[in-house]
Amino acid sequence: MNNIKFKGATLAKLSFVGAVTFSFMCSSITSVNAGHHGNVYGPYPITEKSYKGTKKNSVSYGGQMARQLLHNSLKKLASKGSPSDPTLAPEKKMLAYLNTKDKSKSLPIMDPKNSSKFPVKQKMIGELSGGANLSGKADKRIQTSWPGNMSGVDVIKFMIKKAGKTKGGVDTRNGMNYPQLISKYTMGAVLYHQACDNYLDEKMTASSKPNNKPYKKGAYYTGKEHSWDEAFGYWGAAAHTMKLSAAQSYDVAKKKDLKAADYNKDGVVDLQTEMTYAHAYYASSYDKKGKTNYLKTVTGAFIDGRKLITAADGNKLSEAELNKIQDYVQIICSNWEDVIAESVFKYAGSVYKDLSKIEKALASGSGMDKAMSKYLKHWGELKGFAMALQAGPDNKSDTFNRMNRMMGFGPLMPNLSQVVGIDSSGNYIKDQGSSIGYYKLHMLKIQNLMADKYALKAKVNDATGGMAALLEEVGTKKSAEND
Amino acid sequence: MEIFYQYLETISENFFDPKKRVFLGYLFSAFLISFIWLTFVKKEKIKQSIYKIFDKKIFMSKSAKADYVLFLLNIIILMFLSPLLISQLAIAHFVFEYLHSQTILTPLGIDINYMWMIPIFFTFSYFVLDDFTKYVTHALMHKVPLLWEIHKTHHSARTLTPLTIFRTHPIEGVIFVVRSALTQGIVIATFYYVYGGNITFVTILGANLFSFWFHLFGSNLRHSHIRINYWSWLEKILISPAQHQIHHSIKKEHHNKNFGVAFAFWDYMFGSLYISKSDEDVKFGISETEHKYENNIIYLYLSPLIGIYKLIANYVSSKNLKVKKQKFIFNKQTR
Ligand SMILES: [Zn+2]
Ligand SMILES: [Zn+2]
Repeated sequence: MNNIKFKGATLAKLSFVGAVTFSFMCSSITSVNAGHHGNVYGPYPITEKSYKGTKKNSVSYGGQMARQLLHNSLKKLASKGSPSDPTLAPEKKMLAYLNTKDKSKSLPIMDPKNSSKFPVKQKMIGELSGGANLSGKADKRIQTSWPGNMSGVDVIKFMIKKAGKTKGGVDTRNGMNYPQLISKYTMGAVLYHQACDNYLDEKMTASSKPNNKPYKKGAYYTGKEHSWDEAFGYWGAAAHTMKLSAAQSYDVAKKKDLKAADYNKDGVVDLQTEMTYAHAYYASSYDKKGKTNYLKTVTGAFIDGRKLITAADGNKLSEAELNKIQDYVQIICSNWEDVIAESVFKYAGSVYKDLSKIEKALASGSGMDKAMSKYLKHWGELKGFAMALQAGPDNKSDTFNRMNRMMGFGPLMPNLSQVVGIDSSGNYIKDQGSSIGYYKLHMLKIQNLMADKYALKAKVNDATGGMAALLEEVGTKKSAEND
Repeated sequence: MEIFYQYLETISENFFDPKKRVFLGYLFSAFLISFIWLTFVKKEKIKQSIYKIFDKKIFMSKSAKADYVLFLLNIIILMFLSPLLISQLAIAHFVFEYLHSQTILTPLGIDINYMWMIPIFFTFSYFVLDDFTKYVTHALMHKVPLLWEIHKTHHSARTLTPLTIFRTHPIEGVIFVVRSALTQGIVIATFYYVYGGNITFVTILGANLFSFWFHLFGSNLRHSHIRINYWSWLEKILISPAQHQIHHSIKKEHHNKNFGVAFAFWDYMFGSLYISKSDEDVKFGISETEHKYENNIIYLYLSPLIGIYKLIANYVSSKNLKVKKQKFIFNKQTR
């Protein structure tokens, strides 16, 4: 009798453990596979209790999308520089896209422009937001990655000024490709910096922008809802990203896949919710190769976090909820940081290859122009992303210093000159660099540094990857043998 | 459990991976070559040939049985030792980075027209250089008394079967792993640097094209009793099975000859070549007199260590510097 009872109790315990294990397994499986499937960022209901209006959707990140488009446009304009223009119109135009808040809806979107293949809903920046500019949100800290001890926003202004006076925005004497430098650095200094160093940092603490109060007086969204939405806007993913493959998101950014972009089937691409921008685009470019899943990891965490905030229903977030939010922030910002580090890795590899072509051109006396133009473009991307990486919340000063030292302030030119500083009137100071071989070695070391300090998986253009593959192919001996 | 599985995998890999010498396909080709040799060249009867190839006295000899046990035990030892050794990748990275800071060797701008030749050139160069470092290492194993103590294990075999390659002391195994890593690391990094990453191996069934040929054409017969010799001109280029068998001979005039693996020209160049003679009888081992424990497993593992200990003890106690040098570094008594 006693014996049977004991057995029954054990069985009950076992089945309880079994059930817990099973449900745990199920929940982890669903969170891996189906967790985000079919999720779209918004609409989410109004939870702000003080709001008495008629709005039904609390999602709002028009300002961020305006900034994405200001960035896109700025990049386009940077390649229109002209040294012969006495009115310096190119510079003025660029500064307009840096500084203007387009209340009057008169600042045209330069990219993407409406076309029959890829029709877009909005034509003016002001249609997304009349209150957003780039310069007001740029990193204000002093940048050691660029000569002259300037703040982030002043670095962008300096680059714009130079770009305006340079033919096509590419200074072949000093090696500066301004469209790339401006674009990539702005991605860091404004977009990444605002999201991870501001909205997901200070504004996700208990005291700042609480969820039981409107973001600002009279707003239809709470403090936390809107802070979260803004960070999502800076990420640059379409709201329906989880329904697309990485390749589709990539093609949307490239304006090649209208069908994938037009989620609401109204025949036009809504630049607010249906477009892939900047960082999300780079994430998709790595993910479509199949080794990584940055885009959906980050976008999924944004959606999960937003759902948690919405579920709080306009009440203050509990400590447990805030901790959960911190988990999502961790996923978002560490993966975002890795995406930028992947780009540094990729372009260090491109620069390495370009330098080999330059060595070849130097030896053979032909093909230099083509090799140089690629080199300067890739170096601009490398430098821009390296500077962008330093705009985040994580100050890895040792890593940054080493990286900056190895790439320098400018690319090593074929005559071995290199920009080392800026004089008081804003002209570049140059000095003799080492050798092309050494500079290539620095590119290898930058790749090693990135692979060492960040959890890189895509590793595009790995300069020594082929060597590892060859060694893999010959294999190692696992047994003691004579010949 | 995981380790046990890994162990079984390593054992089977030796027989199923065409990168390995005792891959079943190569063993079969060795059988075919022996069969053709015995029936067509030596004019023996078919039955007689088969009987001779699979001679029980050889495959089941005490010496051969010790080879089999060493094969199984050494894999375990190497499984624990090899992760401690420097990897070829680390060497390759070091060499590759070093090459960027020198100017003698510069990356070649490759003319696309010659692209098809590069993989063959690279594959062949790798095979030749790998063979050369094998020659050097093997010669040192004989000429340096300390190393000879270790290499004696291999030469203590009285009968030769394809598995006699595994009759190797684990210390020698480690030396060979390091040799292989250094060669791979240096050669691959250098080619990778010079050809700007545009290099690939030419392979058959995953094996280096030239290793594949070497093994397919009877590398396993080097350690066998089938005495296949080549024309003497060819034996100056490629080492024949008979030539390696001579390397294992107890006869004085055969000592320190034919260190080469695939190519004979290293021996030819450095004066250690011995062309086989068809009428010469070859007995395998270190000396005529049989050591009581020469096929005892414990003895096989410990005797090199004892030998090394004795050498060092001798060296320390010896007062005569001349004797010291002679005994320790290059001793003419070794082989
Ligand atoms: Zn041998
Ligand atoms: Zn030997």
